[in-house]
Amino acid sequence: MDSIGAVAERRPLLRHRLSQAARSDRRAYLFLLPWFAGFFGLTAGPTLASLYLSFTNFDLVQSPRWIGAANYIRIATSDVNFGAAMKVTFLYVALAVPLKLAFALAVAMALNKGIKGLPLYRAIFYLPSLLGASVAIAVLWRTLFSGDGLVNKVLALVGIHGPSWISDPDYAIYTLVLLSIWQFGSPMIIFLAGLRQIPRDVYEAASLEGASRWRQFRRITLPLLTPVVFFNAIVQTIDAFKAFTPAFIISEGTGGPVRATLFYTLYLYLEAFAYFRMGYAAALAWILVIIIALFTAFSFLTARYWVHYDE
Amino acid sequence: MARHLVGRRKLLTAGLGGLALASAGFPAFAPARAEDKRLRMFWWGAKDRADRTFKVNALYAAHNPGVTIDGETLGWGDYWPRLATQTAGRNAPDILQMDYRYIFEYARRGALLPLDEYMPSLLNIADFGKDAIDSGRVDGKVYGVSLGLNSTALLYSKTAFEAAGLKPPTVETSWADYAALFAELTKATKKEGFWGSADGGGSETALEVWLRQHGKALYDKDGKLGFGAAEAAEWLALWDDMRKRKACVPADVQALDRGSYDSSMIALGKAATAFEHSNLLVTFQTLTKDKLAMTMYPQGGSGAKPGQYLKPSQMLSVYARTKFAPEAARIVNFFVEDPEAAKILSVERGVPASAMMRKLITPELNELDQQSIVYISMVSERVGPLPAPPPNGAGEIQRTLRRVNEEVGFARQTPSAAGKQFVDEAKSILERG
Repeated sequence: MDSIGAVAERRPLLRHRLSQAARSDRRAYLFLLPWFAGFFGLTAGPTLASLYLSFTNFDLVQSPRWIGAANYIRIATSDVNFGAAMKVTFLYVALAVPLKLAFALAVAMALNKGIKGLPLYRAIFYLPSLLGASVAIAVLWRTLFSGDGLVNKVLALVGIHGPSWISDPDYAIYTLVLLSIWQFGSPMIIFLAGLRQIPRDVYEAASLEGASRWRQFRRITLPLLTPVVFFNAIVQTIDAFKAFTPAFIISEGTGGPVRATLFYTLYLYLEAFAYFRMGYAAALAWILVIIIALFTAFSFLTARYWVHYDE
Repeated sequence: MARHLVGRRKLLTAGLGGLALASAGFPAFAPARAEDKRLRMFWWGAKDRADRTFKVNALYAAHNPGVTIDGETLGWGDYWPRLATQTAGRNAPDILQMDYRYIFEYARRGALLPLDEYMPSLLNIADFGKDAIDSGRVDGKVYGVSLGLNSTALLYSKTAFEAAGLKPPTVETSWADYAALFAELTKATKKEGFWGSADGGGSETALEVWLRQHGKALYDKDGKLGFGAAEAAEWLALWDDMRKRKACVPADVQALDRGSYDSSMIALGKAATAFEHSNLLVTFQTLTKDKLAMTMYPQGGSGAKPGQYLKPSQMLSVYARTKFAPEAARIVNFFVEDPEAAKILSVERGVPASAMMRKLITPELNELDQQSIVYISMVSERVGPLPAPPPNGAGEIQRTLRRVNEEVGFARQTPSAAGKQFVDEAKSILERG
């Protein structure tokens, strides 16, 4: 690219270049048209509509009725399910995100040792993430974690009588955290790619200086990996706040036992599609948007204290 | 470095996603010929019902060239959100299966077509009898045609009782007898992980029957809550006592029941009963190797009022904006008054309301299906009047009942505290609508 000064010296050329640029911009917008149509029609439009609906009473059949901020006021003051759902969701985020990231990083580091057949292992470890939350997973999880499930049969061998993990309100949420950790594939792949960018010679120099493995990890790997950790943390946190299918599939949409797996999104879904309170559900959705935005903003603000972008 | 890598990766994913969207294209629609009538029909139910319904639709199409009925089917839980969404989008199916629970709501919002003008010319259901016709009436007009009569029924495993050498419950069994009998069944069965009864404390139908026996109601005719904290507490305590006596499954086992038929205690082999409806005997029999039978819910004892009532298991309704109203009425008639259709549908949706069809199919029924007919005629002498349909919010109250029963089961609340909480929550749900 020319520097500003160089361009300024050749004014006629500048105009020419601008019009050319404008023309090519126009062409670019033309090609972007389908995307714009999709964005405004399928994303921005419905988003704005949901903002409007969050101030109404809407049961899908009769037209929406404007009720001001009543939905938000009820959420803030008298909705017991909202509190319960918040508790479940924050507990889930606080546990699932760090544990999943730590596990993904550990696997990525194990795979980064130059072992043979890496693509195969990578694919195998990615598999659980592809399975997502399907009915098959729900069946598997119940087979593993019910009272007479596989986990308890193994525990019985060492004399421990385990509870019915999946249907006991004290433990049900942890089976879902475990499900999330098990699906560590995508952060693992990204970690792996990040690890491979760290030059080998840094480690060689450190070994020569007599740095232990742990010290190398603390002083070299982690700092150089922080941008990837940052990215993964944000993406996984947003994902965890939006988690819906695991709880929906495993509790078949009940959020039970008691309210132990009533994820925020599941509560939102029940309000919308089980009780047909679309306006209220829209208000709940906007609260979630605000929470996620706050979390992300907070992450970016703190990032400069711990994320190292130096080359 | 890594930052770039991430950026590019993200970009790539976004790009691929866009490409996939853009290339998805549109499904091709075959242009319909002018004389063709293509109607959509939508119902909830299990696979057996789907097989029978598709067969009847095909039969109708064979008798009526130029008419096609496209069937769509879902489970109960997914059916209502889909129907509500389609109604909101003015794209509801021409013919839809309706439930007594929702018919007032849909009819009063103008989503259903009154069928009176086609009666009896296209839709002749005179042999239903007044009660069965009136069960589909809203504000004086007929919006739903009963597909079958049913009532609540206690499904139980005959096999379990035979193995234990015990006598199964009868229509004389009281709630107290029930608790004792199933505590005994648990003990006599000697099987790890098996209890006599499922936990019915969270069952809305069981609570309703029990309330009616006590002279109360789930909802009164104005849609208000028909009982108080004292009754709710007594009900929850009744089941808490059964859990303690091991007459029914413990809370963490009952919680495996997610509301679908195949996660019910009887299907999982955890217990020998299910609090269900009579037409579901056929469906539940496909889910277990045990031989099933049914009887009435437990009784209120001497002097108690009848708890159960007969109701339409499902109805067929016609969408108010259908383009083929007369054809739709004719199809509804075919489902409830055609001998061939009646033989295919049998009693899977309940016992046919049409006296003629009932007489026609009875001799050909197998033993299981016979039970439905016998049960309904036996029950009809022991039932009370049909209550008004439940008010808005009843679905949420149903889930709340399940939750408070769990709270008692997991010892998080005493029955009396949970009873009070349930009534408080139910009232505020009804206020909200």
